[in-house]
Amino acid sequence: MATTCTINISSDIAPGFGGISESMTLTQAGTVTNIDSTTGFQRRKLSATSAVDLITMASELIEPKDSVASKVYIKNIGDGRGNVDKSVGVTIGVKAEPIGKLFGGDWMMMPLTCIDADDLTATPATDDVVVIEFVMFYEEA
Amino acid sequence: MATTTAAITLTSDLLSDNMSVSTSTTCMKAGTTADGLDQMDYGLVEIATGDQFDLIGATPTAGKASKLYVKNHSTDETYYVEIMIDSQDIGRLYGGDWMFIPANFHDANADIEVTAVTGTNKIEYALFHEGTALVAS
Repeated sequence: MATTCTINISSDIAPGFGGISESMTLTQAGTVTNIDSTTGFQRRKLSATSAVDLITMASELIEPKDSVASKVYIKNIGDGRGNVDKSVGVTIGVKAEPIGKLFGGDWMMMPLTCIDADDLTATPATDDVVVIEFVMFYEEA
Repeated sequence: MATTTAAITLTSDLLSDNMSVSTSTTCMKAGTTADGLDQMDYGLVEIATGDQFDLIGATPTAGKASKLYVKNHSTDETYYVEIMIDSQDIGRLYGGDWMFIPANFHDANADIEVTAVTGTNKIEYALFHEGTALVAS
């Protein structure tokens, strides 16, 4: 039971930059044991500029263990009908802290604390329809 | 136009129906469809245990579309760094873990802060952005 994640970054900004290609196997904190729980893929359709919880940590059916090796993948897939607008952004945050804005087609992969107060939030910049796809991998408490 | 692309392939067999995602994005300047990020900051640092450090020295212009890649190259799986933004704990990167996030550095306090735990961690980072406030000599 393994979860693996590979990133490839290429760029011509700096002529000498050879790119980045790295893989990781998601493991439990401080071990080489594979991570064993996931929310599965989820989608949220947003159409207002108010902040919403993508993941409310205290309300997960299975309580995630706090402050270990959890990860979340998030992507702004556009309006869900194949239209992806690079000018429309959704700010992803943890608790009240903005992390950054995912414009149409952008994705992110980051660790999470899974502490009850540290909800994962999404705040669209406009009231245009935008769909966020996400999946969290975690350890059970 | 400078072109930076970031691709991910994610696979998991935790569920009966295996998950597999493969996607790529071209990193554009904020709110544009024709102009790519055109500046970058790429480095490798060794972070000793104890203090909290700002990973990025010259903070990019706030509210833009910067993208940040961070990898913990520690080979000991018990080593990790705590990632914080503006004193908000985001999570831990253990040895071998990486992350890729949009980082909008929304104000002067919104630095990417790292604290090494267990031992000295070797951290690679790449920030793709559209401008920083340079420090006059």
